[in-house]
Amino acid sequence: MAIVRDIMPAFELFQPATTDDAVGLLAKYGRDAWVMGGGLDTFDWLKDRIKRPSVVVDLSQVNDLTGIRPMGGGLEIGALTTLTEIVRNPVVKEKFGLLHQAAELVASPQIRNQGTIGGNVSQDARCWYYRGGWKCYRAGGNICFADTPSAINREHAILDADRCVAVNPSDTAPALIALEAQMVIRNRKGERVVEAEDYFIGPATDITRMTILKPGDLLTAIRIPDKWAGATFYFEKVRDRQVWDFPLVNVASAAVYSGGNIERIRIAVNGVAAHPVRLKAVEDAVRGKPRNAATADMAGQLAIQGAEPLRYNGYKVPLLRNLVKRSIRGVEEATWAS
Amino acid sequence: MAAKIDNQLPKHPPYKLIGKNYTTPDLIAKVTGRAKYAEDYRADGMLFAKLLLSPVPHGHVRNIDASEALKMPGVKAILTVDDMPKPADAMTDLGQRIPANPLGERGLTNDPVYQGEPILAVCAVDELTAVEAIEKIKLDIERLPHAVDPLVSLRPGGPNARVEGNVWMRPTAAPGQPAPPPKVAEVKWTDADFAEYKDGKLPMGKATDPEWSYGDVEAGLKNAALVLDETFVTPNTSHQTLETRTAMAYWQNGKVYVHCSTQSTAQTAPAIARWLGLVDDKGQPDISKVVVISEYTGGGFGSKITSSIAAIIPCILSKKVGAPVMMRISREEEHFIGRARPSLHGRLKVGFTKEGRITAVDMFVVMDNGPYDPQGDANQSGRMLSLMYQPPAMRWRGITVLTNTPPRLSQSQPGGFQGIALMEPILAKASRKLGVDQVAIHRVNAPVGKAPIGPPGPNGKRLYVTSAYVQEALDRGIEQFQWEKRKAMPKKSGSKARGIGVATSCFVGGSIGFDGLCVIKPDGKVYIQSGIGNLGTASVSDCHRVTAEMLGVPWEKCEITWGSTAKNLPWSCPSGGSQTTHAHTRAAYAVALDAKDKLTQIAAKDLGGKPEDYEVANERVFHKGGGRGMTLAQAAKRAVELGGIYDGHELPKGINKMTVASAQALAGQGLVAVARDTMPRDGQTHSYVAGFAEVEVDLETGKYRILDFLAVADVGTIIHPRALGGQVLGRSMLGIGHAIGQKWVYDQHYGLPLAKRFHHNKPPTILDAPEKMEWAALDIPDPETPIGARGIGEPPVGAGCMAIVNALSDALGDEIFRRAPVTADVILASLEAGKPATEGLTAHI
Amino acid sequence: MGIVEWATSPWGEDVPIHISFFLLWVSAIAGLLFLIGHAIWVKAFAKPEKFAASGPPYRDVHIPAKVPRHSLAARLFHWVMAAAMLALLITAFLPKVGVQFPWVTYHWIAGIVLTASILFHIIHASFYMDFWSIWPDKIDIEDAGRRWRRATGKDSPAPRRFAKYPLENKMYHGVIVLAGLSVMLTGIFMMFRVRTVLFPRNPYLFGDMTWGLMYVLHGLAGVGLIALIMVHIYFAVRPEKLVITKSMIFGTLDREHYLEHHDPSRWAADGSSGRAKAAS
Repeated sequence: MAIVRDIMPAFELFQPATTDDAVGLLAKYGRDAWVMGGGLDTFDWLKDRIKRPSVVVDLSQVNDLTGIRPMGGGLEIGALTTLTEIVRNPVVKEKFGLLHQAAELVASPQIRNQGTIGGNVSQDARCWYYRGGWKCYRAGGNICFADTPSAINREHAILDADRCVAVNPSDTAPALIALEAQMVIRNRKGERVVEAEDYFIGPATDITRMTILKPGDLLTAIRIPDKWAGATFYFEKVRDRQVWDFPLVNVASAAVYSGGNIERIRIAVNGVAAHPVRLKAVEDAVRGKPRNAATADMAGQLAIQGAEPLRYNGYKVPLLRNLVKRSIRGVEEATWAS
Repeated sequence: MAAKIDNQLPKHPPYKLIGKNYTTPDLIAKVTGRAKYAEDYRADGMLFAKLLLSPVPHGHVRNIDASEALKMPGVKAILTVDDMPKPADAMTDLGQRIPANPLGERGLTNDPVYQGEPILAVCAVDELTAVEAIEKIKLDIERLPHAVDPLVSLRPGGPNARVEGNVWMRPTAAPGQPAPPPKVAEVKWTDADFAEYKDGKLPMGKATDPEWSYGDVEAGLKNAALVLDETFVTPNTSHQTLETRTAMAYWQNGKVYVHCSTQSTAQTAPAIARWLGLVDDKGQPDISKVVVISEYTGGGFGSKITSSIAAIIPCILSKKVGAPVMMRISREEEHFIGRARPSLHGRLKVGFTKEGRITAVDMFVVMDNGPYDPQGDANQSGRMLSLMYQPPAMRWRGITVLTNTPPRLSQSQPGGFQGIALMEPILAKASRKLGVDQVAIHRVNAPVGKAPIGPPGPNGKRLYVTSAYVQEALDRGIEQFQWEKRKAMPKKSGSKARGIGVATSCFVGGSIGFDGLCVIKPDGKVYIQSGIGNLGTASVSDCHRVTAEMLGVPWEKCEITWGSTAKNLPWSCPSGGSQTTHAHTRAAYAVALDAKDKLTQIAAKDLGGKPEDYEVANERVFHKGGGRGMTLAQAAKRAVELGGIYDGHELPKGINKMTVASAQALAGQGLVAVARDTMPRDGQTHSYVAGFAEVEVDLETGKYRILDFLAVADVGTIIHPRALGGQVLGRSMLGIGHAIGQKWVYDQHYGLPLAKRFHHNKPPTILDAPEKMEWAALDIPDPETPIGARGIGEPPVGAGCMAIVNALSDALGDEIFRRAPVTADVILASLEAGKPATEGLTAHI
Repeated sequence: MGIVEWATSPWGEDVPIHISFFLLWVSAIAGLLFLIGHAIWVKAFAKPEKFAASGPPYRDVHIPAKVPRHSLAARLFHWVMAAAMLALLITAFLPKVGVQFPWVTYHWIAGIVLTASILFHIIHASFYMDFWSIWPDKIDIEDAGRRWRRATGKDSPAPRRFAKYPLENKMYHGVIVLAGLSVMLTGIFMMFRVRTVLFPRNPYLFGDMTWGLMYVLHGLAGVGLIALIMVHIYFAVRPEKLVITKSMIFGTLDREHYLEHHDPSRWAADGSSGRAKAAS
């Protein structure tokens, strides 16, 4: 079949008005259904005629999926809430600044106006082989084109690769993991709540999916408990361009310090593996230690244990190390007085 | 001291319009979205065309089975290369035949030489039908070996990008004759040639482009206090115009109407006629059979100088199906057929005195030419280097290697950019090695006045430029950028390093010999016909401000007609190579002189005396020193009454036949002024920019910010400050894109591109622009053109890119990068390794 | 739905990428149907086996009470191979039916174990065992004909007793050799496509088409093994075959069983080959 890109094929469009209807449609059409939030990931796939669902369930009319609501000292954020709404929400900014920072660094203002938090955490890998329609493992094939001797893999994984070396590109995902957020998932059978950390899966478990969502499942909301409200946050995203770009690596940390020591901390990074990586070993190692350069250096070194760079992504190792270091002691800013 | 020098510099008289800002006639339509681009047009019964692109980088289509597609309702026709005209010879104005390159592009092909090359087009009632039809077409393609890396192709036993070979051989022309068509040959270097490859040094095997040199290079290098031998690689960058090269066409009464995206209006008609094989009995393109409509163009940067060959696909389809055909080009298609700058792998050996003056340059370049016509960038890189840094001795060698990557074409400062990019890091390194200030080393090597350029001609003499005030531009920059103050600041603080950089850049800035045409009508207004393309530079109206200035007519009383060759436009220059401002301020000057001549003649006829007793100003022609006179409206009315030369019924000799036809159509409407620019010029017109930049690098992430940027232009008289500033900063930004991230990425195993969309190729965004950005222009008139204005579109590119790159090496030292762009990964990996850690010579990484 | 899944290669060519995974159900169901059918046939229709006299009874006096059948090495090989095979099947097919876990590493390690054990077996069988004892001989073919004729009610002389292995056993071994070697050889090459500690990855060792066919062969042999292993286990637990299963554990057959089913002239009870003995 000759290949043509950049023109959307026909499909059946459903625009349910309630979550129940949406879940019903997803149950009815199963694998044939495609869930569309803000459409940013969706339209790429559809316009390139690579993913060809027969049914698209557009959630844009489901009002009960949007909005930010207080919930037990924390917040519940509807999955369809736009990133812009999250950025502008005063409670998010005041109590959960980590998510505020992460959401504000996603893509570009236009994309944040349209893109949803649910979509941001559930988005597919951005590997250019996979997105180019090359039939790789992730696409159901039998090869990873990005992990070959001549592959260009500057943006690929240094951790937890298993055949596929794509990375998870989400900026909000590590922030949510650091905040101990929970994902609310519904399907026809009912509702379940999973830890953000467990929402993401790597290629070793399922090489074709980025999250635990299966056909019929719908992410309806994200709950942020009050555990880390008002903690000290650090988020940094390193990308090629200052806007409209995915992270090369990003880091999110939430910490509570007391008397100069790290009382408790959670750190997650993304752009280094097919799933956002929570650095549990680093957290354990630095807990109770003084917040200083030595602890930060140790954390950075620990974070890159087991990193396996490919031909073109060796820089991600020092980048991950340095970002984790900074997530504890901050940036040594310059003072340029001559 | 500086003031004294300033006093010796040429100055232009005070002007009323020239050098002043104004609202361009296309502005409101553009900002309100009412401007219609090619894609916005509709015609009754219009059909749509879509392209089937080659899936392989190199192959031969053995069979096309379109039976299933043609059976689909709504599918009207399929166009293949068999429907396309053969490449036609071009004819010069002097009647010299420039033979067509038999290996040139035809728009469609059965022998694709890059992935994405159009193989066929399907015409249907809508795009979705066309696309579904394409998916039903079965191609039987024989795959052939592919090469996407020029050095891989040059290796012993390396693959060839075309069946005929892998290198363009360029035969030299006999004196006074056009060059014979180039030929493809197979050239392989030896393993010994590649010995230094692993050290990141460009192998220098057999060079096949015609070598040139002047001066004693060997002695220059031998007597130098410092000799640097450096390899640098410039990126392949797509033009990435925001408007893709969409075209819509229909035929009426044997004439094809083409709505297309083009940089030039007048020049596109003959180009399309030639591609369509519409030539007259003398072999010249028959422009009476082509109407080009292009009122607004969303960018060209050299990729649409006369539109593009893809525009003939809807033309031919439209003829075949007897209905208008729209062919919208998608972003991905634009990546393939939208042209790109060829990368140069360069290795330069440069000698310096201890003061930093260059003693000799020995330059070797490998050009990644793409699969089609040989590009001029390689040779131009040497020419521009010879002008910009004035080496007293220089040798240039090069090889033009074909690759199975999208076709290349001139991109802003073609070749000049690459020459500057190869040389600037060496100049910056020499300044550090010799302890000479960066600006000083540029200043001591800068061209002055009628500076020589390029190799000696057949007479043994080198050509020279019309003027150059690069030292003045550097001096202005030192002051405005506060260079010395910034230089005194520390280089490192916290996790950050900072650096400052300067780069100078130059390029061709004007051509001569084109036509002007305007009509002063009895309503007192001046109706100016403009064959210039409206490609966003404002030259389509800027140039004509000269006519208004000289005739003393307020701008509000000037009406400009542009954008359609059906609207009686004069023959104009191609809007490329930054020639328009120069060429058409001259043509506007010439036509204003013609109008003045005719006005004073009419005044003398009616009011007595000799024409030279009269002058033209303030919408009047009147006796010098006051007294009798008449308004332009009255004179126009008289011109119609007088007829003959005055109202266009008699036309001067020497003007182009397009101008003749247009003037004839306008004859009788008023005073018709029409003239060709035949004014003398001593030297080659070039423009110059000095760029200054400051960067702050995050040593822990490799990311850097451009804190400040200043471009100082030596571009002659300023015509329109706002447009000039837009060009200086806009094209600087184009260059900065080359420094900070723009590139191609190829998988060499399959020979296929991975980066095909904006977010992959990474043109800079507004937030990547320098945090502070300023421009200045010297406003020193060029002595070899009446108004003194030169073009500016090109030289900011090299200055923008390399000021950033030099600032980076100022901050980080010489052991970080060997190629552009310089991205965070390159910096961080090299800092970590303590040496350049990114592969130096692999193409498209 | 074809048995092979095709994909478009980066060059737009149609290449096979692997088998269609519904085939694993086809194989499992086929295996299941066979065992059900076999069980019914044995229960309802099968006549008790009758063998022709196998020779002078005086020979039987030398037969020990426990006739050695499988050496310790052979038994170890069998069980190691069985474990590896089961591990391979589980790691290969559980994820395909929805039980997801990181299977690749276990799979290739089990594959290495299987490969090593098969290599051992080939050498062991070639040089230390009676190599030909597992391959059908002329008598097996003749007897198969006799059995068939008798089963279909035609007149035929009684088949002779077996050598060391009944014909079904030999045929099963043959199919297993075919399937096993296919998965093993393709599997070894497929390890070039994943990260292992054994050799540098080179996914471009072969062209897209060759790789595709290799994956298809691996898959076909793999799903084939599902049915084969089901059948094998089924026979192993059938009551009348338990004695053979036990011999794979303890190494010996009871004298009675030996005399009833095996022909000492074709398989001497001292473990040497009847044929070899006759020749000596």
